[in-house]
Amino acid sequence: MSNVLEVKNLKTYFYTDEGVVKAVDDVSFSVEKGKTLGLVGESGCGKSVTAMSISRLISPPGRIAGGEILLSGRNLLALNNEEMRQVRGSQISMIFQEPMTALNPVLTVGFQIAEAVLAHERVSRREAWSRAVEAMRAVAIPDAEKRAKDYPHQLSGGMRQRIMIAMALVCHPSLVIADEPTTALDVTIQAQILELLDSLREEYHLSLILISHDLGVIAEVAETVAVMYAGKIVEIGPAMDVFHNPKHPYTQGLLRSVPRLGSSVQKKDRLDVIEGMVPNLLHLPDGCSFAPRCYKKTVECTLSPIPLEPVSERQEVRCIHA
Amino acid sequence: MPDVAEPILSVRNLKKYFPIRRGVLARVAAHVKAVDDISFDINKGETFGLVGESGCGKTTAGRAVLRLIEPDTGTIRFDGIDLLSLSSQQLRRRRRDMQIIFQDPYASLNPRMTIRTIVGEPFAIHGIARGSERDDRVANLLKTVGLDPSVLGRYPHEFSGGQRQRIGIARALALKPKLIVADEPVSALDVSIQAQIINLLGDLQQQFGLTYLFISHAIPVIEHISTRIGVMYLGKLVEVGTSAQICLAPKHPYTQALLSAVPIPDPGARKQRVVLKGDVPTPINPPSGCRFHTRCPIAIDRCKVEEPPLRETQDGRDAACHLVE
Repeated sequence: MSNVLEVKNLKTYFYTDEGVVKAVDDVSFSVEKGKTLGLVGESGCGKSVTAMSISRLISPPGRIAGGEILLSGRNLLALNNEEMRQVRGSQISMIFQEPMTALNPVLTVGFQIAEAVLAHERVSRREAWSRAVEAMRAVAIPDAEKRAKDYPHQLSGGMRQRIMIAMALVCHPSLVIADEPTTALDVTIQAQILELLDSLREEYHLSLILISHDLGVIAEVAETVAVMYAGKIVEIGPAMDVFHNPKHPYTQGLLRSVPRLGSSVQKKDRLDVIEGMVPNLLHLPDGCSFAPRCYKKTVECTLSPIPLEPVSERQEVRCIHA
Repeated sequence: MPDVAEPILSVRNLKKYFPIRRGVLARVAAHVKAVDDISFDINKGETFGLVGESGCGKTTAGRAVLRLIEPDTGTIRFDGIDLLSLSSQQLRRRRRDMQIIFQDPYASLNPRMTIRTIVGEPFAIHGIARGSERDDRVANLLKTVGLDPSVLGRYPHEFSGGQRQRIGIARALALKPKLIVADEPVSALDVSIQAQIINLLGDLQQQFGLTYLFISHAIPVIEHISTRIGVMYLGKLVEVGTSAQICLAPKHPYTQALLSAVPIPDPGARKQRVVLKGDVPTPINPPSGCRFHTRCPIAIDRCKVEEPPLRETQDGRDAACHLVE
């Protein structure tokens, strides 16, 4: 299977007055054609910065400090700004959490989708408009011709997110990065949007990076899962293995601490917890960043950085006790 | 003695409509029917979960119960007293027994106040304990919620989201309330912190014999923490039952759809789900008959015209659906 995207040793640092924040620190993964990679982790773990780095949308004081990002074999970090601008929207596109802030309130949604076509392809305005309407049909917006003339505020949250997806797909990109695409939506609407993303991925052989803090959302759609903590991938592998046989104590703790539907069969008084809280990225402990909260911690964990190592053919874990 | 649980809170026919005003004369053009005739009881020491999607009226219901929003009609009996008959003076005194915890720990703490002032404010308002005695009480409260009492002189911005939520909980506990309305208390928190706060709320309930009205859109959280659950849709309660009745064997088609939409953190469990068509209609002009009929997979003609009342079903739960026996 060919990889559409390969990220190798990506480092994105923020040079603040208080010190260097290593938001993404030596992250590597790949996404196969037509597959979905799920990036999961809590706030500040670096999952969104990873996404922004792939599209090269990091602004000062942040900078990509090292690594390679290969899109169909081409290193995006070697492109100049104009070349990169051509890549964005046509080969890589993004879907954000809050569709209301990602859309321009004074332009019709049809115009905004058509704009993406005009930016990347030599087509007439009429042609761009009909492509926009077609994209809106593809994301199952009823009455697409009429809705295309609506402004964002006239649409519901779920419909706006469909518009964002239409905009992301209209130029047939090979990679779509969806950053918490359903977090602002209600569960019944979330189910619709996840189902839509998955069916579009299949239909257009898209590669998808889905970023979420919600383990349930990741489990629904991702084939491969990468768990991030404090700027690093701590565990990566096929979703089945990571969810059914988690090896990193952080992954284990996360999976145990979420309340499960159906828990009233056997009611537990208390949830299992991960003690403590996420460390400040400015003052990371030596060795394993998770060690201060880890039940398996030994002296060895705190001496030197822990490498990500294979525990099976397909699963890699950053823990010496795995 | 039969062990009959006695309701500490009894809500009947509660309604809250918000007027929409239009034009230069600000004439009332329509109403948002946020809470439209709901009734429920909460027993002493239990947790009643109120669940539903945005705009279903769960937050309005929670606030109306405390008269933080003045209800239009209905009765609220709390601990034997009809809250709606109280004057604002009398109500303020009763408020000692009913407190609220808010969703956003960043917005619900005054950034210019120290933790000492924030947690000590209920004492100041009710003229209880002064000076070092008040400090002692505040320090004790902080210990109760798992914070170090040495933080008394610090400000909210120095704390993480989870710690701020603990501060909000300490404030709610200050006057030893009987009932706490918790409005999405863990929704803004990270997964690993959520579990800590949920456990804390459970521990405090045991320790102080608290009763909770727990409002959330997160069904697994509601299921874990609640004794009984009420499901809301467009201002109405559509199903009320024990946590197991609602979450293991839902009867109302909306509850069924809502549960089937919850993503399960298990890639092996991908399942057939009832995906509802369309969006939630606006509560300004809710659909006629059963409000859910526009999205209901099993609706019949009768549902479009006749509103189903919330009534007891065979297994003792309540459901508002013509098609549930």
